[in-house]
Amino acid sequence: MKKLVLLLIVSILVLAQGSPANATSAIQQTKGTFEDKFRQLDETLPTPNVYRTAGGEPGERYWQQRADYQIKVRLDEQKRRLDAEQTIVYHNNSPYRLKFIWVQLDQNIFKQDSMAERTATFSSTPNIDLDGIDRPARISLNQLRRQQFISDNELGFEIKQVTDSKGRKLDFVVVGTKMRIDLPEALKSGDRFEFGIDFGFNIVEEDAVNARSGYEHFPDDAREGGNDIFLLAQWYPRVTAYTDYEAWTNKEFLGRGEFTMEFGDFEVEITVPADHIVSATGVLQNPRDVLTRTQRDRLEQARKADRPVFVVTPEEALENEKEGTNKVKTWRFEAENVRDFAWASSRKFIWDAQGYQQGGEIQPEVMAMSFYPKEGGDLWQKYSTASVIHTMEVYSRFSFDYPYPTSQSVNGPVGGMEYPMITFNGPRTELQEDGTRTYSLAEKRFLIGVVIHEIGHIYFPMIVNSDERQWTWMDEGLNSFLDGVAGREWDPNIPWGVEARGIIDYMKSTNQVPIMTQSDSVLNLGPNAYTKPAVALNILREVIMGRELFDYAFREYAQRWMFKRPTPADFFRTMEEASGIDLDWFWRGWFYSTDHVDISLERVYKLRMDTENPDIDWQRRREEEANKPTSLFVQRNQAEGRKTWVELNPDIRDFHDENDRFTVTNKQRNAYQSFLEKLEPWERRVFERAVAEDKNYYVLEFENVGGLVMPILLHMTYADGTSEDMYIAAEIWRRNAKQVNKLIVTDKEVVQFSVDPNWETADVDISNNYYPRRIIPSRIEAFKFERSMDHIRRDLMQDSKTELKTKDEAQEQN
Amino acid sequence: MRSVRFLLLIVMLGSSATAAAHQLKTAVTTVLFNDRTGNIEVMHRFSLHDAEHAVQVLFDKTADMHKSAATQQQFADYVLEHFAIRDLSQQPLELTTVGYQIDGAWFWVYQETPIVADLTGLEFRHNALQEIWRSQQNLLNVEGHGPLQSLAFTAESEWQSVQF
Repeated sequence: MKKLVLLLIVSILVLAQGSPANATSAIQQTKGTFEDKFRQLDETLPTPNVYRTAGGEPGERYWQQRADYQIKVRLDEQKRRLDAEQTIVYHNNSPYRLKFIWVQLDQNIFKQDSMAERTATFSSTPNIDLDGIDRPARISLNQLRRQQFISDNELGFEIKQVTDSKGRKLDFVVVGTKMRIDLPEALKSGDRFEFGIDFGFNIVEEDAVNARSGYEHFPDDAREGGNDIFLLAQWYPRVTAYTDYEAWTNKEFLGRGEFTMEFGDFEVEITVPADHIVSATGVLQNPRDVLTRTQRDRLEQARKADRPVFVVTPEEALENEKEGTNKVKTWRFEAENVRDFAWASSRKFIWDAQGYQQGGEIQPEVMAMSFYPKEGGDLWQKYSTASVIHTMEVYSRFSFDYPYPTSQSVNGPVGGMEYPMITFNGPRTELQEDGTRTYSLAEKRFLIGVVIHEIGHIYFPMIVNSDERQWTWMDEGLNSFLDGVAGREWDPNIPWGVEARGIIDYMKSTNQVPIMTQSDSVLNLGPNAYTKPAVALNILREVIMGRELFDYAFREYAQRWMFKRPTPADFFRTMEEASGIDLDWFWRGWFYSTDHVDISLERVYKLRMDTENPDIDWQRRREEEANKPTSLFVQRNQAEGRKTWVELNPDIRDFHDENDRFTVTNKQRNAYQSFLEKLEPWERRVFERAVAEDKNYYVLEFENVGGLVMPILLHMTYADGTSEDMYIAAEIWRRNAKQVNKLIVTDKEVVQFSVDPNWETADVDISNNYYPRRIIPSRIEAFKFERSMDHIRRDLMQDSKTELKTKDEAQEQN
Repeated sequence: MRSVRFLLLIVMLGSSATAAAHQLKTAVTTVLFNDRTGNIEVMHRFSLHDAEHAVQVLFDKTADMHKSAATQQQFADYVLEHFAIRDLSQQPLELTTVGYQIDGAWFWVYQETPIVADLTGLEFRHNALQEIWRSQQNLLNVEGHGPLQSLAFTAESEWQSVQF
């Protein structure tokens, strides 16, 4: 190799400091401290098989169980109790023989001795202070109310009997919130088993126990004794999921991680007081029995309407809630291919409906409907059904056509919960002293936001059937990401969250667990399972993959797993497979670790290429030398007027006084010629061009302080005021995840380098993102400065009265 | 068994919102040792959405975080009442109120106090909103004084400390 003396330095590999990549990994770094943040996830992800492929698709022999339900249920309004008989046809599509079937009894969570109750912790302790000031323990009235309600009421399922299709009793064992039903003989692969369960339970008061369903009492209604809204979910014994990845789900229901269920068809007969209106999963089969002719006509009219049409008007609902009845009616609903069934019932319901003309072949028309009491009022009338339709418009673009005939939003005591075709949403209006009902901007945003979120859940996880008991983020994270998309398409001026900057305080904290943590064990569920994954997906879409690749891959995931049961590996693999981008480093960093993003631009060196021509280069060295500061000693001597010997004896000079050490002689010129002659023709072309162009060479030294490898979004500001962006992929960190150098060659001189100037990557510390460094004021410093400029404090009203002075007036005053 | 006193918290009115969207029920406080200003700066960040709901429960139904400066002031005051710092010998650090602001999806409340020399640690109390929402979690990051340290305050938390 020729001696091309460029003052260019390639990045030097420095062994990273830090802990081994993955302590549990089968492959371990046992020398040095190198951490491979790009190690492929295949050791961590489950081994692909015939049920789930390496590409994240359902495999060639993918299977899932199926359970069809027929239920007859009666609501006893007085006792606030349900009693029901149900028949379940269980289809064993697995390749295995089953000796027993597990059934979930989620109502048992409210029993006094449930695992959830017994393991609830209490960390407020009394403190005896030596100074004599004792601090008592703290308990809330809410906690006391809950305890009183649970001890006063017989809660949990009463299982009256379990029988086979011929009425013969089956043995069963209740284990907490689960029940094992022993089969008379093992159920072979491909066979089905029909069994019946008669059950009942007392409904909980939602406000008292903080549940996902229950009743809410309205004591102030005109009817004597008031009225209730009943929201019924997790209300029937449901077949536990039996899967290829976990077999029977064994996790006890502790209240947070909900469930994954089996798809099936439902026929449900709901008997309620005759003056109740019922909303439920599925389609009403007997409108002639339960609706008036006017109501049926209005429903028909709503199909093609542009705005919601009242099926029950506010006036009719108000009249209806004034008195009760002893009569009952039975509403019959059918739902196909759903993983659950929920319903709501009350005489307080106003009901509006509007057909959503979705088009396509799957479900051209969807009836969007809302049910709400007068307390929901105008707010619900204006925005509930509209939000339902908006959600379907946006979500379908990212996934698949909404496949069900109805999509409903019901107001009740639950803040927000989702079930197939039906959601429970909490926002209300406020009754003012003058008798009117108003709602704040907050409540309006809450309604729109929560309806979008809960209707969005009909897609994830009610159709893309992920398992929240294991991985909360798979539905909450994906859904929070999409509700952010839908929210911004509703009104971008509303701050919807999921911006990267919203998660940095959480991500840099030391108090967190990886997203890939089982639901019940997650600390701080909101940021962990909702915000962080939503932000991660937003960054994937907007920064790393780009919208086109992300949207294609995300849609592919949704379509592959529609009506099926994906796991995290299927999501991770599909997103890579369909986009052609290796994202293992991203899943590893964001989902499997608690690293945060903090990329620091530590140093920048500016370099200039030598021409090798001594007449040019040595002159440059001479100038560099001259530009160095003069010795302070010499400066002070000069200041004192002290003459040097050389100055005092100008007559005595020699060759060395006339020629400095940068003087070029023919010896160097000959060496230069010799250097040029020895270059191969291609080397000479390259060299001469580089000399002629004389570009700016910058070496940027980056440090990865946070540990999470991410792309470097570099922004360069040039001396002429223009600027340029450069995207450096995360792979720059592949051989050293702690520190890398990067050579940047520019035509124009750079005066400022910055990393992620638009705050897109959740970088927690922006003070190290600039070179030269900038002083980044703290929020309080910035706030104080802004306040001094604030029009609130400037008394703009008074200032604006000031008249403009003429030049003369101004001079006079001076 | 020794009997202990209970301190009752006020009645919670908010709806439960178990798997509810949007109400994050989590706040973050940054306690920053700012050498430039010589102050310990305390920056409380609440989700505006959470605050919007909280004020209607805490104050009255007409409270409006968006339109009413009085409500914002009231909420800021509330936050200040529910947060305190003291040193390890339990001497309180008197915090000066700097102000509050809405910024995007967040409501911020600011306080500060001069940096005290030779601090060996600090104790914090932060129970804002926990009286109305049992699941409210307040995360606190101490920055600018050695490695970042975090504390998590839940409804039952009392004073918690960091050591320097």
